[in-house]
Amino acid sequence: MLQDIITPQKRRFADGVQTVMRGHENRNRRVVLLNGSLVQNARSESRGISARVTKNGRYGFSSAAAYTEGDAEAVLKAATENALFLDARAQAAGRSYPALADGLVAPHRLVVDFAQKRLIDACKTVDAYIAEKYPGLSSRRVIYTEDSQDKIIVTSDAASGHVTYPRCYIYVMLTAESKAGVPVELFRAFGGAGSFEDNFSDLSPLYAGIDQLHSHLMDKAEGVYAEAGVKTVILGGMMGGMLAHEAVGHTVEADLVLGGSVAGPSLHKRVASDLVSLVDFAHTAFGTDTPLPVYLDDEGTLATDVPLIENGILTGYMNNRETAQHFGMAPAGNARAWEFTDEPLIRMRNTAILPGKDTLEDMIASIDDGYYLIDSSNGQADLTGEFMFGVSLGYEIKHGKLGHALLDTTVSGIAFEMLKTVDMVSDNITWSSSGFCGKKQPMPVGMAGPEMRCRITIGGR
Amino acid sequence: MSELKQLSARLSDMLAAAGITKYAFTLSEDEKRELNTEHGSFSLFRTIFDKTASVTAYMDGRKGSASGNDLSEEGLQKLVEDAKSGAESSMVDEANDIAEGQLPETFRTGPYEADMERFYDRLQEVMDTVARDFPRIRLMQIIASHTQRHSLYVNSNGTAFEWFDGAYSTMLEFAGNDGEKTTGLGYGEVTMHDLDTPILALGSLRRQLEDTEKSLNTIAIADKFEGTVIFTPDALAYFTYMLVSNFMSAGVVMAGTSLWLDKVGQQVASDRITLRLQAQDDRLVATAPFTGDGYKAENVALIENGVLKSHVLNLYAARKTGRPVTKNTGNAFVMEPGSQPVADMIRGVQRGLVVGGFSGGEPGANGEFSGVAKNSFYVENGEIKGAVMETMINGNLADVFSKVTALSREIVSDGSMAFPYMAAEGITISGN
Repeated sequence: MLQDIITPQKRRFADGVQTVMRGHENRNRRVVLLNGSLVQNARSESRGISARVTKNGRYGFSSAAAYTEGDAEAVLKAATENALFLDARAQAAGRSYPALADGLVAPHRLVVDFAQKRLIDACKTVDAYIAEKYPGLSSRRVIYTEDSQDKIIVTSDAASGHVTYPRCYIYVMLTAESKAGVPVELFRAFGGAGSFEDNFSDLSPLYAGIDQLHSHLMDKAEGVYAEAGVKTVILGGMMGGMLAHEAVGHTVEADLVLGGSVAGPSLHKRVASDLVSLVDFAHTAFGTDTPLPVYLDDEGTLATDVPLIENGILTGYMNNRETAQHFGMAPAGNARAWEFTDEPLIRMRNTAILPGKDTLEDMIASIDDGYYLIDSSNGQADLTGEFMFGVSLGYEIKHGKLGHALLDTTVSGIAFEMLKTVDMVSDNITWSSSGFCGKKQPMPVGMAGPEMRCRITIGGR
Repeated sequence: MSELKQLSARLSDMLAAAGITKYAFTLSEDEKRELNTEHGSFSLFRTIFDKTASVTAYMDGRKGSASGNDLSEEGLQKLVEDAKSGAESSMVDEANDIAEGQLPETFRTGPYEADMERFYDRLQEVMDTVARDFPRIRLMQIIASHTQRHSLYVNSNGTAFEWFDGAYSTMLEFAGNDGEKTTGLGYGEVTMHDLDTPILALGSLRRQLEDTEKSLNTIAIADKFEGTVIFTPDALAYFTYMLVSNFMSAGVVMAGTSLWLDKVGQQVASDRITLRLQAQDDRLVATAPFTGDGYKAENVALIENGVLKSHVLNLYAARKTGRPVTKNTGNAFVMEPGSQPVADMIRGVQRGLVVGGFSGGEPGANGEFSGVAKNSFYVENGEIKGAVMETMINGNLADVFSKVTALSREIVSDGSMAFPYMAAEGITISGN
């Protein structure tokens, strides 16, 4: 855990500017077993200090890969000079941002390190289970990945604190040959926030998940291509989370609203059926910790939830201090930076479509000819809300019952049009948190959704 | 002796003292200066000083790696210990190895020192030009930087490479907006060694801005058909990357899931296709003079006249699979151009699309792809009819590169790759 050498710098913060300093350490651990061979075995750590100094709304930023008080002083000086460089050349007047509530946040979790041998042994145990039970696979991968952030944030005119965000996962990727002799794949991530011991002290709970993954893969090996066109589908919870993040979440990030996203003219208007509500949760949802809790952002804003869609009406944006002032909204802790070298950007935290009242069984029974799309390989969306998700796992629905599994396909649509077709929403949600969102910098994010019945365009040959 | 060379000597001593006789390490110092603009004015000036050390220890066929940015005596000692304990915890695998010794060499590429005043002026010129020539473009952001890097690669077989590198890069993020309608997000990026040319004259930035403005007015395609797709150089670079990743990369060859596993020496693509991975090329800035395995990088032919010449295998993958190592594992791809002007290629299309970008699921191991055509235009009877939205393209990567009907004589380089336009037939195009 980082020692606080940042707070003493506060006496050097200049007048007439707004300053945030950050001591910041990231740790990564990675082990990859491919068909039992250890193909990656690596540990990395990066630690440094950054300062962001804002003069009339213009940012000077500097960072150094060092961690002494002398380095902190040098970084603060360089950031101040950069802000003055821009301010001196500015062609229009700028303005500073309103001061925020102060406060001091303490770490909620410890970053605990484990010997590489523990991590390798865990992967070998999981790999041995797969190799022994499923010898017919054409390929298997077991990947342990861990990243953690440890930050000390000190501000001139907002809250300060020490926050830690450890998370770790074991990915299992299985490949089999389809009946046509071509490879089909599926993967699943196990784990979440916390250190190795929090998630993997007992590996046996993974085995049921691996068995289910294998079962789905065997179905997929016998799978059929989806029929292209606009179909009635049930989007699974993982797909719902992807939709919440990619297709809606990005369009309501205030920097992208300023760029002309479809959410700009849609504020306070209907963008979804009244069954759809969406929240970017900070650290607590439904009475428990979110998958990746955020307590304080990198501008010193204490993190609170942001309701984005309420009963189908677009109600807000996610902001940093600058855009919050522009839109007359309150910042809620969305400005986050990945490495010590990074400046904070507007990022989602734990973005979820809220559960409804239907059961999955009733939803499947309600469809005569459609698809149940369970899991997604990746997703992208645009300023217009036009989105595309790869579908890695899905099944036909014929006469109210599940049919053949699907080979890989894609769904696409316009988010604010597609969401208006949602007419059933299940009573539980599925969280995922293993991936990174990419937006100049990577960032861990959580996302969740219920099952939703809707009309969507599905790709196919 | 430079500070980095002193650290290198010290690190070699530490590894020897720890009983590690086979090793490789890299040391680097970076200085990055970055200017950001938002919505037409400069918003951020960022200066980053970074250092990295990465150590890999090989012990009796076992391998462990550790990296970090603490280059103090204690920091380096910790890296040596972490790499050693990583190797001790690892499994014996005879495929773990380092390259045989290479002649020591120092490489110098690009301008090591940044000219930020001139760079600032070039970026102001971009904003002024976009405002003047593209009134319906909203230039959301420019991220522009100069990075200088001094790095060393050393291994226990006597290889010592030193590299001084400097380069400018500029990324534009933009969208068309006429007050009512907005287009999808557009990106363009160029990398360069000098600031002699206006930035918008580089790569395909100007065409991308023009295409985005034209995309404000879209037309609908109502049906599904098999047609010809002309990939722009940017889109072709993306599809080529997917092709290499799916059929030629170390991961799929080691996993045995590549459909081109045993196709070296065989025809895998149209005989119009020649694809190379470059180590030295005057058009490219983003080339690396040596590989992570410790080989001096070479220009490598991957596909020549449609014949697969090589997979892209690092030393581990090569030894693991009993195949030759690729002495270039970067991303500096160059595709040989054809003979037709792109305008003639468009005139030759009966029905299809010019595709400028692709938003799709990662293709499965079988190469099937499916996704949304972005920044794309509908072509009928040899004429561009208009921009499309909500239009999907489906096909198979191997088929796309087999059913090539033309490559343009124009070739576009953004500093990191160089590609022509490519026309391929038989791609499923579905409107909404």
